[in-house]
Amino acid sequence: MTERRPNLALALLPLAFLLSMSILPLLRLLQEGQGQFSLGLLADSYLRWRIVWSLLQAVASSVAALLIGLPIAWCLARYRFPGRSLTLRLLMLPFVMPTLVAGMGVLALFGPQGLLGVNLQDTPWLLLYGNLFFNLPLVIRAACEGLAQIPASRLAAARTLGATPWRVFWRVEWPAVRPWLWSALCLVFLYCFSGFGLALLLGGQRYATVEVEIYQLVAYELNLADAGALALLMLLVTGAMATLYAWLERRLAAPLKVDPLPPRAPQGREWLQLLAALGVLLLFGGLPLLAVLWRAGQALLLHGPDVLRDEDIRLALFNSARFTALAVLLAAGLGWLHAMAARGSLALRALAFLPFIVSPVCLAFGLLLLYPQWTASLSLLLATYALLAYPFVARSLASALDSLPAHWPQAARSLGATPLHAFVRVSWPLLQPAFRRGLAFAAATALGEFAVTLFLSRPEWLTLTTLIYQRLGRPGADNAASAMLLSAVLMLLALLAFVLIEWPSAAERQLKKES
Amino acid sequence: MLQLQAVSKRFGDRQVARGLNLQLGQGEVLALLGPSGGGKSTLLKMIAGLEAPDEGRILFAGQDLATVPVEQRGFALMFQDFALFPHLDVLGNVCFGLRERGMARPAAQQQARACLQQLGLGGMEARKVWTLSGGEQQRVALARALVTIPRLLLLDEPFSSLDADLRRQLQQEFRQQLQGTAMPAVLVTHDREEAFALADRVAVLKDGVIVQCASPAQLLAAPATPWLARFIGYENVLEDGVVPEQALQLGQGQPVAEVRRIIQLADGVRVTVASSAGELTLTLSARELQQHAANLQVGGTLAVGIDRSAMLAYSAA
Repeated sequence: MTERRPNLALALLPLAFLLSMSILPLLRLLQEGQGQFSLGLLADSYLRWRIVWSLLQAVASSVAALLIGLPIAWCLARYRFPGRSLTLRLLMLPFVMPTLVAGMGVLALFGPQGLLGVNLQDTPWLLLYGNLFFNLPLVIRAACEGLAQIPASRLAAARTLGATPWRVFWRVEWPAVRPWLWSALCLVFLYCFSGFGLALLLGGQRYATVEVEIYQLVAYELNLADAGALALLMLLVTGAMATLYAWLERRLAAPLKVDPLPPRAPQGREWLQLLAALGVLLLFGGLPLLAVLWRAGQALLLHGPDVLRDEDIRLALFNSARFTALAVLLAAGLGWLHAMAARGSLALRALAFLPFIVSPVCLAFGLLLLYPQWTASLSLLLATYALLAYPFVARSLASALDSLPAHWPQAARSLGATPLHAFVRVSWPLLQPAFRRGLAFAAATALGEFAVTLFLSRPEWLTLTTLIYQRLGRPGADNAASAMLLSAVLMLLALLAFVLIEWPSAAERQLKKES
Repeated sequence: MLQLQAVSKRFGDRQVARGLNLQLGQGEVLALLGPSGGGKSTLLKMIAGLEAPDEGRILFAGQDLATVPVEQRGFALMFQDFALFPHLDVLGNVCFGLRERGMARPAAQQQARACLQQLGLGGMEARKVWTLSGGEQQRVALARALVTIPRLLLLDEPFSSLDADLRRQLQQEFRQQLQGTAMPAVLVTHDREEAFALADRVAVLKDGVIVQCASPAQLLAAPATPWLARFIGYENVLEDGVVPEQALQLGQGQPVAEVRRIIQLADGVRVTVASSAGELTLTLSARELQQHAANLQVGGTLAVGIDRSAMLAYSAA
């Protein structure tokens, strides 16, 4: 029990922060919505369609992600091919890619004057495609993880008992992967349902979601009553989904040490399967990014680098850089405290998930309602950035702390190291890669933040994302070109964060070599 | 029934089978015995069809198995970790193979129940497999394999995850089960006691080569090489033969050797002495101790000689 007290003391700051920055604003929003909520809202056919479409596109995206993702995951998990480990790593890329970049990529492909010659604007397909860009890799990763948890002997046992490979899939692999998939699909639904950036960019008039509607009600129509009622609905649905997710996640068996089936070289027709899987993966996961690069290259050739030489862009770059730096700094401190405090406390650990699942639009709206006097203050914007970014640091560090055997620092102590030296010479070098990874995630989050920025920002706080959105809304080839170029810049910055996250440190490479 | 002809297999630069030849008759139990990494499990997987040999042929009842996929061979393989399906209960696990062979669910369940009953697992049908003890899991895995009446039973270290007492008990049960069915079986193990207790013939594998394949009695009577003699448990392995306990003679007239080590046993001692032929280890009963070495101590002496005529010569010399 002596160890518990300092932990709670450490937890005070992150807890106070979470309370004031997310829980209270959401409660305030609930209160606002409760007063306004009536079934009359549903009678309005315009709003009813918004709600129905929001649910529908989330369900459709989840089902599509499952149907497309599972076969791809199976191929990635079971076949050995050149570039396999790189492909598996690249599945992390969407996690750091700003929604605006993906949205721009989708528009570059299938928008007006799209590269592929089909204009899908004002159809539901744009949004669904964008959703799959982000969520297909999530399902694939979950399924791969599930497949890796099946011992090779279990599969072999099924084969020797008379099951064909296809029957083995249905009777052994599918039941084992299913729990992993359900919890991933919960997240997919949650992200698609409460996603803002993609829906704003790709939904158009007809296929925008409730989130976009809330934003428009607040920002343009100042109709807080309807916005509050809609936000309440959002909170209820996402809350239920998040609870379901937490419940499913808890039921997942703790990863055991198993000998999974080693991937084998595909033979004959299996090559076709594998190539098809990789092709589909590229279509959904790679094409939008390539389109951004392609279009940006074209713009650069056509307009020259002068397009980027203007006052706004300089301001946006400067703002993005300093906001990100400050947010990362705050996230580092909060994340560290939270991770140290969360050792051994499941509840604290679960709390670090809160900022992941709460819809940024609802959050920003709640903050506006709760702290009207600070609506135009930079500190509120930065605090929100920190809120969205710090859980990455906390989670990454917490899992590193878990895997750090207690007897290593103890051994250092017994060899004569002071607590400080034991930390500096043993614990810190082992925690440092996870910390760095968390910071890179935090930086990518702050850099690509769009929803909250749009709500809370002032014109002089222009960032890369808000500038891209601005330019996209203005007529003229110059604006379109600079929007695309800025998207490419944002994408390259996200790629940099990705490399920082995925690049193994010297110590990790050493470990890998030895194992 | 089962025939292996010049089977070779290589993983990277590790040769796990070099031109192996083996035969297995109807109802015979063959043990593949060897140190870990000797290629035993790979050989079993090749028979099951989970790995393909690089060279050579595997035949069953005269049919070349090269093109027969795993599920059509009709062999059941029982794994070291039992590989029970965690999403199915005990009955579901035992039914699995029957269902795959196209049996209707009620019939499969009836047969599975009967098999569970026979193995002393009656009443456990609805249990989740992770709630079973190690011995129960082992029996469920055995039931799952036996219920399909496979043409050949393959067992990969089936007792190694159990503790010693339970292992002996289950080995005995297993031996009875198998004798009842006349089903041929191949058993992989690194435990010589297990191989000798369960198998009609034992093939000792080392570095992908069969050093010797014979009945337990023949192996003990005429081990092929010094390595093999040591591996199957002989202590006194000399260059020209094995000195079994009965070839060691005590008492007056025998050469005197210096005592190196003494280990106390419940009913005697185990003594290691340095003789002119090399180090010899022998077990003295309490009676012999009284008679020949009343005040035995390290650094002291013991009169011990070798009866050359009782030594075992190496059969592969």
